[in-house]
Amino acid sequence: MGQLNIAVVVKLEPDFSAGSISYNPDGTLDRSNTKNTLGPHSKIAAQAAFYGKVKYGAKVCVGTMSGHIANDALPIAMDTCDADLLHVYSDVLFAGADTIGTAEVLKHGVGKMEAAINGKMDIVFSGHRATDGETGQVGPQIAWKLGLPFFGNVIDYEVDMEKRIITMKRLLWTRGFPEIIQVVQSPLPVFIAIDPSYKYFFNTASLRLTAEKYKREAQERAKNYKSLLTAFNCVQLGADKTLIGLTGSPTIVYNVQRVPKGKVTRHAEVLDGSNPEHIRKAITAMKDALSAMVIK
Amino acid sequence: MTEGQYRHVYVVIEHIDGKLIPASLEMLGEARRLFDDYNKRYNLNEKVVAVLLGHNIKDLSKTLIEHGADAVVVADHPNLKDLINVIQTKVVNQITLSKEVAEKVEPSYASEYLRPRYMFFAADSIGRHLSSTVLADLDSGLASDVNKLVISDMSITHHIKTGGKPLMYDKTLEMYRVDFSGFLWTTILCLDNRNEKISVREYSPQACNIIPGAFQPIDPDPSRKGIIIDFEPKFDDADLKIKVLSQTFVKSEVDFENYKTIVGFGKGIQAAPEKNIKLVEEFANLIGAQVGITLPISKNVFSASPATTSTYMIPARVIGTSGSKVGPMLYFAIGLSGAQQHLAGMEESGFVIAINTDEESPIKDASDIFLKGRMEDVLPLLMAEIKKEPQLVKAK
Repeated sequence: MGQLNIAVVVKLEPDFSAGSISYNPDGTLDRSNTKNTLGPHSKIAAQAAFYGKVKYGAKVCVGTMSGHIANDALPIAMDTCDADLLHVYSDVLFAGADTIGTAEVLKHGVGKMEAAINGKMDIVFSGHRATDGETGQVGPQIAWKLGLPFFGNVIDYEVDMEKRIITMKRLLWTRGFPEIIQVVQSPLPVFIAIDPSYKYFFNTASLRLTAEKYKREAQERAKNYKSLLTAFNCVQLGADKTLIGLTGSPTIVYNVQRVPKGKVTRHAEVLDGSNPEHIRKAITAMKDALSAMVIK
Repeated sequence: MTEGQYRHVYVVIEHIDGKLIPASLEMLGEARRLFDDYNKRYNLNEKVVAVLLGHNIKDLSKTLIEHGADAVVVADHPNLKDLINVIQTKVVNQITLSKEVAEKVEPSYASEYLRPRYMFFAADSIGRHLSSTVLADLDSGLASDVNKLVISDMSITHHIKTGGKPLMYDKTLEMYRVDFSGFLWTTILCLDNRNEKISVREYSPQACNIIPGAFQPIDPDPSRKGIIIDFEPKFDDADLKIKVLSQTFVKSEVDFENYKTIVGFGKGIQAAPEKNIKLVEEFANLIGAQVGITLPISKNVFSASPATTSTYMIPARVIGTSGSKVGPMLYFAIGLSGAQQHLAGMEESGFVIAINTDEESPIKDASDIFLKGRMEDVLPLLMAEIKKEPQLVKAK
């Protein structure tokens, strides 16, 4: 039947929760005053890995690319999925990469995780997209570089350990059509970008008990996460310098500007919201405008 | 760059069970507009090439030509019936790299042809991933969620790409994307490395995925001429072991279509998120409205109870380019400043009432009535007055 090996690639992102985030007066993100945390989509990927650990006894490895070895994302990832090992890929040479340059580093990272556990990965998870970059490209590009079939927007998965087959549910959407649930089956190994709506559910008491046990273990391990951590620089990863960082990135950010103020599409009548007289005026205007609406 | 090796714009068409998605025609429309100008400016005869994959879909070719395609490359095969990324990626790149296809698209450019110059995909849950893997395979650059495109000759000075010297990059595709805040517009360029000290490398195609709804299709012209190229795809046995067991349409989590009134809220709830969301909920219930949110709210920017978070702070409620486009008869914009990407999602509303403290915020210019004040002060007054007008209650 064999072992199930899972890798999760996660990302440290700005913490968008209240109290941690800071906006500039113009509404843009004030990065210097915003804390960082495990990205919410990365966290969901770690939860999907935890499901594999509880249900199938999978070995779980977490890897992340980071400017600093002290990465706030890792203890949270550890706490979420009770990882067996943690990797950080850190080198100034990685900086400034676009999605292709990033995927190249993480491809090598998955290779290092495989070397560390002396086995091949059966499932590699990534988050849906980062909350800061929001491209959603890195996951599928790592998959391609690893030669794994890619499945995005996965909301549920089950593994047939005997046949080494995975069955996934995917949520697909495109504007102008209802959402689609696709059920798809593939031989392992696969690469999965987990959908934001993924939630695991343990349907037996025995699985819930196992989950509780691993959660307690995870809390302990999260406290000592540094002892489980291995850091790799570019040379240690064996990455080709011309394929990573700015050098390995086809794209550049040429310019960042304020989104120009849109054309004035309507001419608002400004009314005082604290004045009941004005509120009544607003309601009258609204009624007049909507008279064709036939409100009954 | 070796000018003749990179030609044409290849537009990867999407359809669901043989029905074209609107974004397919929108992408073709923009490709047509760009290339009519491009061919004139550079005195070229490069083509808009639609790439169509599926089974029993050949009939769509005519529609694609009417909407601006010069050539439609059709890979029609039972193995392409289902949306499977790895299979589609390989077939798309069999097409993009095919000299035989290029020969049929435009014989005069075929001898040198290596790859497309530009490629467009739709930024939805199919095209986003397909563009990522196609470009990983082609080892070139991809910009995502693009909503403006310009082709121009640019002088670039970049410490890596040009070694700090100004160099001309002809026919560069400027790809504009709005960042997560909705206030910053970033221009992404895909540029060859011309710095001999570091690494010299050509990157083509310059590719992007395009936000559905960002561009207009052209008016269909039944007299437009174009060629249809049948392409025989090849498959790897390993990929054919991937099986789609079922595909079912489901109703989306949040229904905007069947409401005459929609109430959208944004960061203006921040003083007391839980209480203010409840206030919005109460207001929406009173007037029978559906509730929408701005993109930042979906990222759990503010803490609220689990029930409120899981009901309201969810991607399915987002109105704008990253979510739903709505056009109700009446739209209330509550405590939201009107980032461009939100406005794009609600500007077709019949009548817009904004409740906001800041008269300088962009939402004002997209509103018919601007009620100045804090939402927590204005909404109770508004509700009290609406309750006196029973015919306004439950306008669904």
